[in-house]
Amino acid sequence: MSTEVNTNAAGNSASGENILEIRNLKKYFPIKGGFFGGVTGQVKAVDDVSFSIKKGTTMGLVGESGCGKSTTGRTILRLLEKTEGDIIFNGQDVSTLNKKQLRELRTKMQIIFQDPYSSLSPRLPIGEIIGEAVKEHKLVPDSEYDDYITNIMKECGLQEYHKDRYPHEFSGGQRQRICIARALALKPEFVVCDEPVSALDVSIQAQIINLLKQLQEDRGLTYLFISHDLSVVEHISDTIGVMYLGNLVETGNTEDIFANPLHPYTKALFSAIPMPDPDIKKDRILLQGDIPSPANPPKGCKFHTRCSQCMGKCKEVAPTPKDMGNGHVVCCHLYE
Amino acid sequence: MANENNENKMALDDANRVKVLSPGMMVFKRFIRNKLAIVGIIIIVFMFLFSFVGGLLNPYSQSQVFYTTEQILKDYAGATSIDQYQIQQVDGVKLPSDIFSKTLIAASTGKYVFETRDGSLLGLGNVGENVYVIYSLEEVNMLLKKNAAYDAAVAAGENYFTDDDGLTYLFQDEGAAFPTVYAASEMGVAAMKSFTPYDSSEKFSYEFYRGALVASANGEKSFQADGTTYTVDEDVILKDGAEYALISDVNFNAANSGVFISPAYKDAALDAIAAGQTTFMFPDEDGTEIEYRIENKNGQYTFRRYQETRVIDTYAHPSKDHWVGTDANGMDLLARLMYGGRISLLIGFVVIFIEVFIGMIIGGVAGFFGGWVDNLLMRIVDVVYCIPTMPLYLILGSIMDYYQASATTRIYMLCVIMAVIGWVGIARIVRGQILSLREQEFMVAAEATGISTYRRIFKHLIPNVVPQLIVFASMGLGDVILAEATLSFLGLGIKYPAASWGSIINAVNDSYVMSNYLFVWLPAGLFILLTVLAFNFIGDGLRDAFDPKMKR
Repeated sequence: MSTEVNTNAAGNSASGENILEIRNLKKYFPIKGGFFGGVTGQVKAVDDVSFSIKKGTTMGLVGESGCGKSTTGRTILRLLEKTEGDIIFNGQDVSTLNKKQLRELRTKMQIIFQDPYSSLSPRLPIGEIIGEAVKEHKLVPDSEYDDYITNIMKECGLQEYHKDRYPHEFSGGQRQRICIARALALKPEFVVCDEPVSALDVSIQAQIINLLKQLQEDRGLTYLFISHDLSVVEHISDTIGVMYLGNLVETGNTEDIFANPLHPYTKALFSAIPMPDPDIKKDRILLQGDIPSPANPPKGCKFHTRCSQCMGKCKEVAPTPKDMGNGHVVCCHLYE
Repeated sequence: MANENNENKMALDDANRVKVLSPGMMVFKRFIRNKLAIVGIIIIVFMFLFSFVGGLLNPYSQSQVFYTTEQILKDYAGATSIDQYQIQQVDGVKLPSDIFSKTLIAASTGKYVFETRDGSLLGLGNVGENVYVIYSLEEVNMLLKKNAAYDAAVAAGENYFTDDDGLTYLFQDEGAAFPTVYAASEMGVAAMKSFTPYDSSEKFSYEFYRGALVASANGEKSFQADGTTYTVDEDVILKDGAEYALISDVNFNAANSGVFISPAYKDAALDAIAAGQTTFMFPDEDGTEIEYRIENKNGQYTFRRYQETRVIDTYAHPSKDHWVGTDANGMDLLARLMYGGRISLLIGFVVIFIEVFIGMIIGGVAGFFGGWVDNLLMRIVDVVYCIPTMPLYLILGSIMDYYQASATTRIYMLCVIMAVIGWVGIARIVRGQILSLREQEFMVAAEATGISTYRRIFKHLIPNVVPQLIVFASMGLGDVILAEATLSFLGLGIKYPAASWGSIINAVNDSYVMSNYLFVWLPAGLFILLTVLAFNFIGDGLRDAFDPKMKR
């Protein structure tokens, strides 16, 4: 199954155009402090990130907690205002849209959240949660509204009688289906999945992942799949981006990256993937120390404080992205 | 068909088996399982029925004053023995004003001839014991030797005589060689007696007075006046055998004007006094025997009796007519409790409504927009929070006193003042709640799905704030009712005649009332206690019911 999708996606990526292009995206959060509440510093949550996603493919964005994955996702949707850079969606710069255009964009780009418990308003019935935005944007005529919602719900594995129920009556997996239904009801082209399965147990995770893949096939969706769970990302993604402290350190096709991780951080990350076979001897790379504060990132390569192959150059000069062929881009002095 | 059957059949894990409950219904279900909250609800429902329906059913209004008739020992009449001469004048004669004192002096000294202030010469003829005829005198030169009338008069101890021509003469220094003689013309009669007619419309003529006085003074059994013969029976004068007038040397005065003291009463009273009794019975107009008490103070007699008097029914104990009794103003306490309950509950709800309204808008705006708006509004909240409430209430209370605000105005003002001070707590709660809700993922999701700001506020934010608001408001209701009671107790809130539970309790200012008339203040105090307690129970119950951590 996985290979099938991948070949499909590979075909797509060869022929399809980019649905989303991110160029030098930066998102800094100001730190306010001092007596007069002035800006005393900045948290560089996303610091100069560039990548692109081809239509109908899935890009996995991985990295440890706090590396700026979610911020990237939300900035793309303009739920957060970017500090710098371009977000080009379908050839249109998202950041220049006015309110009215942004409203139209909302139907094209959607997001699925990590926590299915807090992402549903507890005081609205499911039918309304899913259909609210459909009505708001008048996507379907009133006469077809009920059928439309029912169909979406069925597609997402929900029953029609769930419509009148309230979120508290559902399990986590069902809630996540509701969230997916809410996002898909707007007929989006691009969906940011912000760790959609990390709050669910493994069996439910598989259901949701398969649902997402099914929906992608049916509707030709493009996903930006944010996760820290590498096995999930491997399963669903066509391309992968590895983030560390606001930087994209390595991007490439899933197979390439899993077969041949280049960046020391990627290597360390992949060495942490648990293997179901106890006979396989693992060379686990243990990273020393904590992730540095994004408010005060290290000079040069941001990873040099924890890198086992750190050179003198790494401490002074920030590396530039280098294409190693087949779209496999790495950002490390080792490959220069 | 079979398929349909299959669908209708329910499996154990079929979600259809579970009844769909909206969050509101779940809250309700949890709420009614809370025993204390149900007790609270029952109390509040009772208070509402009592105040609003009871007030309609109760026949009395809150400011209706009740009267009662009471037997009170009241003065009926006073009596004094006559120590001054009562003078009856001949028709058409006017005696000088100092005649009373002159008569008294003349009678006591025996110098029967005297001159009054206006220079007229007057004399007294002693027609009987303490009965004198007043004459106007003119000195004449007359020799009285061998005058039979004179001799007879001297022999009888009188100082006057009538000659053959019917002219009357008064003389002085009888027995002397040459007594002074005056030609006398009758001006009136003086005696220490009072006359009471048996028929109160009767007017006595001068001739009657004179005849009666002379007759009674000399112990005669009958006399003639105006051509009628009257018989004298001790103090009573009979005309044609019927009681006509009473003579007594005691003067009676009715305590109330318009009361005619009958001679029979006087007779009975005099008899009692003479017999040394302290009480006597006498029938009233209806023939009922009434006891009169005689009190003697320096020769002044007072006759007192128990009389039915209409008085304000103050501090009446609970009875069939007034189930909770009456207060200091004779108003029905049950009615006042009912109307007072209306005010107390109404003020509570109105104030909370205004507080929630202001607090929700200010807190909501501050929480939703944040930034400098939040900062500004929260500083205003801080300032209002710092206002010392009691002094403010005192000032406003005295201002309202100064302008003599009506009872209704006071109620409105009280509501406004309490609400204007009380909204800050709600504003803070709403702001905090909205700040935390704003960061919830469902709000981000709503934004991501392009839902309008208006809908985000009213469909997503407000419904999630409402539970906390309801809890806070139901708890706050108790506080407001307490505050109102405190203010009314201090005399700053609701004022007489309008009632509130607080103002009813105000009666305990009087320690006598506090210890002796429990029924005046205890019910109102109990009602305040129960109501506040009930609102707190309900608030607790609602809080538990809204708490999502409490599973059903």
